[in-house]
Amino acid sequence: MLEPVLSRTSAATWRSGPAASRLPEGLDVPRGAGLRRRAAAFRERHRIRTEVARQTYAEAREPKCGFPVASSAQAVGFLGELLHGRRRVLLGLAIAMNLAAAGAGLVAPFLLGRLVDRVTGGQLERSGLTTTVAVIAGVIVAQALLTFAARRSSAVLGYDLLAAAREEVVRIVLRLPLGHVEASGSGDLLTRITSDVGKMAVAARWAFPNLIVSVVLIGATLVAMVVNSWQLTLPMLGTALVMWLGGRYYLSRATAGYIMESRSYSIINSTTTETVEGARTVEALGLGDLRNAQIDEDTELSGQAERYTMTLRNFLFSMVDSSFQLPLVGVVLLGVWGHAEGWATIGQITTAALYISQLQGPLDRVIAVLDHLQLGIVSTARLIGVAQLDDDRTPGEAVPTGVKLTGKDLRFGYRPDTDVLHGVDVDLRPGERLAIVGPSGSGKSTLGRLVAGINRPRTGQVTVGDVDVMDLPLDRLRTEVALVTQEHHVFVGTVRDNVVLARETTASDEEVERALRAVDAWDWVSRLPGGLDAELGHGKVSLSPGQAQQVALARLIIADPHTLVLDEATSLIDPASARHLEGSLAALLEGRAVVAIAHRLHTAHDADRIAVVDSGRIVEIGSHQELLELDGQYADLWRTWRD
Amino acid sequence: MHVQPRGRYDFPPAIPADSRPDVRSPSRFLFWLIRSYGWVMPAMTLGAASWMIPAARTPWLLGRAIDAGVARADVPAALGWVGLLLLVIAIGVGGGILFHTFAVRMWLLGKYGLQRRVSHRAVRLGHVLNRRVPTGEVISVSSSDTDQFGATLESFGHAIAAAFSFVLASVLMLSTSPTLGAVVLVATPLLLLGSMPVLRPLTRAQAAERSESSSLTSLATDIATGLRILRGVGGERTFAGNYERQPQKVRALGIRLGTWQAVVEAISILLSGLLLVALVYLGSLRLLEGTLSIGELISFFGYAVFLTSPMQTFFEFAQKWVQGLVAAQKTIALLGTDVPWADGGRPLGPAPVLHDEASGVTVRPGRMLGIVSADPDDSAQLADRLGRYLPQESPDPVDDAELTGRRRKLARRERLEERARRAREDAERAGRPWGVTADGVDYSKLDMASLRRTIVVSHTDAMLFSGTLQTAVDPWGTHARQDAERALIVASAEDIYESLPGGWQGRIDEKGRGLSGGQRQRLVLARALLRDPEVLVLVEPTSAVDAHTEARIAARLADHRQGRTTVVVTASPLLLRRCDEIALLVDGREIARGTHDQLHDHPEFRRIVARGMEDSDA
Repeated sequence: MLEPVLSRTSAATWRSGPAASRLPEGLDVPRGAGLRRRAAAFRERHRIRTEVARQTYAEAREPKCGFPVASSAQAVGFLGELLHGRRRVLLGLAIAMNLAAAGAGLVAPFLLGRLVDRVTGGQLERSGLTTTVAVIAGVIVAQALLTFAARRSSAVLGYDLLAAAREEVVRIVLRLPLGHVEASGSGDLLTRITSDVGKMAVAARWAFPNLIVSVVLIGATLVAMVVNSWQLTLPMLGTALVMWLGGRYYLSRATAGYIMESRSYSIINSTTTETVEGARTVEALGLGDLRNAQIDEDTELSGQAERYTMTLRNFLFSMVDSSFQLPLVGVVLLGVWGHAEGWATIGQITTAALYISQLQGPLDRVIAVLDHLQLGIVSTARLIGVAQLDDDRTPGEAVPTGVKLTGKDLRFGYRPDTDVLHGVDVDLRPGERLAIVGPSGSGKSTLGRLVAGINRPRTGQVTVGDVDVMDLPLDRLRTEVALVTQEHHVFVGTVRDNVVLARETTASDEEVERALRAVDAWDWVSRLPGGLDAELGHGKVSLSPGQAQQVALARLIIADPHTLVLDEATSLIDPASARHLEGSLAALLEGRAVVAIAHRLHTAHDADRIAVVDSGRIVEIGSHQELLELDGQYADLWRTWRD
Repeated sequence: MHVQPRGRYDFPPAIPADSRPDVRSPSRFLFWLIRSYGWVMPAMTLGAASWMIPAARTPWLLGRAIDAGVARADVPAALGWVGLLLLVIAIGVGGGILFHTFAVRMWLLGKYGLQRRVSHRAVRLGHVLNRRVPTGEVISVSSSDTDQFGATLESFGHAIAAAFSFVLASVLMLSTSPTLGAVVLVATPLLLLGSMPVLRPLTRAQAAERSESSSLTSLATDIATGLRILRGVGGERTFAGNYERQPQKVRALGIRLGTWQAVVEAISILLSGLLLVALVYLGSLRLLEGTLSIGELISFFGYAVFLTSPMQTFFEFAQKWVQGLVAAQKTIALLGTDVPWADGGRPLGPAPVLHDEASGVTVRPGRMLGIVSADPDDSAQLADRLGRYLPQESPDPVDDAELTGRRRKLARRERLEERARRAREDAERAGRPWGVTADGVDYSKLDMASLRRTIVVSHTDAMLFSGTLQTAVDPWGTHARQDAERALIVASAEDIYESLPGGWQGRIDEKGRGLSGGQRQRLVLARALLRDPEVLVLVEPTSAVDAHTEARIAARLADHRQGRTTVVVTASPLLLRRCDEIALLVDGREIARGTHDQLHDHPEFRRIVARGMEDSDA
């Protein structure tokens, strides 16, 4: 029935011949050609790399699948929000302390200059020298103390901001609409929560405080230079111009460059991970040379990205190096002239030269800081983008009047133009076991998700006790109907934390114990050091897959929904431990209505009723005996299976 | 890693087949690495020198220019000095570019070269790799250790250049004023040593902050991986609370770290400031005496600032070299691992009769044999033996993040010993006759490549590689479209084709994530079918597939493999019905053989296969 699609488009989408290289054309620089041709080739290569970086960046900003991304303005707004209240005071304090420290740092060169003037003017005696030197020493001690206070207050601000941002991000993640959590894999979310939070952290704890430090220092030094001698400050105009133009060139490309670079590394990592984890498959199917060829190309691509950012950095370094050294030359030239003309003293020249050499650090840093801030903002935009998903749940006040679950005229599709379900009616009798069978792609898992209230059907509705499941608040829905997922994930936390989930605020220790007893888990739990308070996961107690599955079942007993939706393909019953868990599972199913999406025919056979789904419709429904008498699809399959 | 053009671009260069890393000791490995870069290391050191040495001359030239222009009002001389100064600045900027360019080249040659070597090693070791080294460790060698070598060797070149510039600056200072020069030369190392005591608590604070940060990340990862449960079953409040305590802990540790960093900075300001004061005092005295010119004094200010940089470089190098040795140890442990067996050399016949001594199972050519076993492990081991695979046992993953210092070192040594023990076991196992014969010849006498080509085992946990649907089914890129279509249809995977936008070019994510277990399984099957080996061993090929689809696959599979040897390890009656014959294993030995109908009434067979039949018969 699906062959037509295959035969219709197969020829058009199949690519024969060797796979196209992922490297763009035109990166060659001819060897031995004329200087001009080589220079042109270098420029062309740089242009192509810039282009590729921009494309990679655009894709990272607008992912085709996965979660949405917020705009930079929203990200800045989010961080700005966090700077309210107490943190506003911290910010003021950090700026004030940095100003004071910078101010103290400017006194010494100034005094040195005056000292030089007095020495060359012959107005200084030994005793006067001693006093001045003592004063300078005192100022330096003060500068050290103020610097300590300034750096510390900046660090406090940075870490405070980071802690707040991290908490907010996790709150956003924990508010994700249920339908989206089920639909999109955890991959995208994981990247965001690890690598993007990492980049945001660097921005918050390093870049942001250092931005304050550098900007305050640069500003204060420039003011001091003008006070020292405005003429001798003029060479700094050149510095400002170079830094402005060069900085703009660099910063407008760097973010894209670094994103392309880190993307290329995750590609290498993922290729290596696949090769290593799939070493057996590689060996069995003779894929070794292909895997090696792939890593060769991955590293070649990465080499292009690395060399692009290297060019950008070379540009930046030469700019910073010259923009701080050339003004020194300017000061000497102006000084020679000014000294002859009488508007500059040797002391002023000394002071100006010392100020300029003090600027090297902050100038070096400010660009790197802006660079990381940009990256941080891009990452923040990805993090808070997660919050932009619309929830299709509309919690209302209505309370279900019973436990009867009904679905009427259910239509649903994952893509706008193609429905997977075409008007399904389903009526679940309280306490009954309904098995849903059908070929893969028929829509049986989708039906399960609609019944469990995960997704809103495009038309029709699923009601429980005459209330639409999509109008129930999540807390309430969980006590009515639950989808038993494949994840028997054990969280880092105590055994109690891991079990109480659905009723985290109301379940007593006795209830937890009873639930664990019901799934035959109390035996081993009570032997753990600390019992219910034993810490599980990551470097602490780790559970066997069977134990993890028991914990997952106990969670559902605590939640106590009257209806369970069990998807065998994705259910937590791993065939290896199935036999061992049968008792635990039976305890959970006892007294509840069950919708079982069955792969194995014996599951279907044991059910009260069986619904056969094909191409998005229920084509047969009835008890095992009735369906055998009907002599349709199910009967056919049953006979093949058992004879 | 020698420069040798390959592919479309010369960079990164190919690994010459005959070059082998020196894995005898970590330091030998680092020196091997340096040699393997060829001219890049000297060029980088030269670049570093031409970047640092001009900087050593700048203060001197600046002093000259001020003396000439300002103190003596000799404008032409001053302009001359300024011209020289400009030249030196230009050379320095050029040197900086050279240094950075060569350093990056060296860094990348090492990184990419080793990443390629890791891949080559993994391919060569095949399934043996998973027995010896945990995946996490291979990835950490490939991603972070290769980076460490770049950092170590860059600082090696940097330190050499720093030594030259240090000597030059010292000569210039001592020739200008021996006393002041001596003060600077003695004071600078003292200053750096003076800040050493606070470096230790700083490193500790850094380590504490890093470890708490990473446990914070794993906590967030934990929430993200379990999010379906947290949103589906509940528990948001508990885990949001657990998480929130952690950032506050990191915040406290971060502030401790920030405090130590502030202390270090304050001390460095204090010490370098005091050196400046000392220079001012001594210099001014000499100025008053007339033994020192104003320009020379300004030069000394410059040196006092300049000299901290080579000093820092030396200290950094000492640290980086040690870190490089640690990384080298991990890397050579991986690159030094080899397969336990030597090739037997004899090729396999085209349609071999296989016989396994341990179970007594004989696989006859051209037939489809079903294997049913009371214990699924027995049949999985049989499949391993038929394919000549060592059993799948993964080594314990490395978890020494919590350990420190000596205990960590001890744990590492134990791990290496454990690994060496397993290597010996494997070698011993591979040296004996294998226990499976093909046409009467034991596997150990056969050519490995020929064996792998003729007999293909498709395991339950076979990996689906990222790429397109086309490369997932035909990773070799050598098959005809019609064959691929047929394989897809036999595996009943047309619905996957339909559900992916873009048909054959639809994206398959890393490890086939985003597909359901059943979808992955069917694509793995299609891929194995397209490979079309003489002998195909399928282990539980349809365990995650629903009965409807399984029935379809069973019928098509038997048809498709007509005339070739197929072994199916399964308990599914749908598949077994289509087998030419079935071997029934109990306690790892074949106790009965026959068709589905012949075995139908065998009590053991019914117990394993026909679960549910009894219910309906009763």
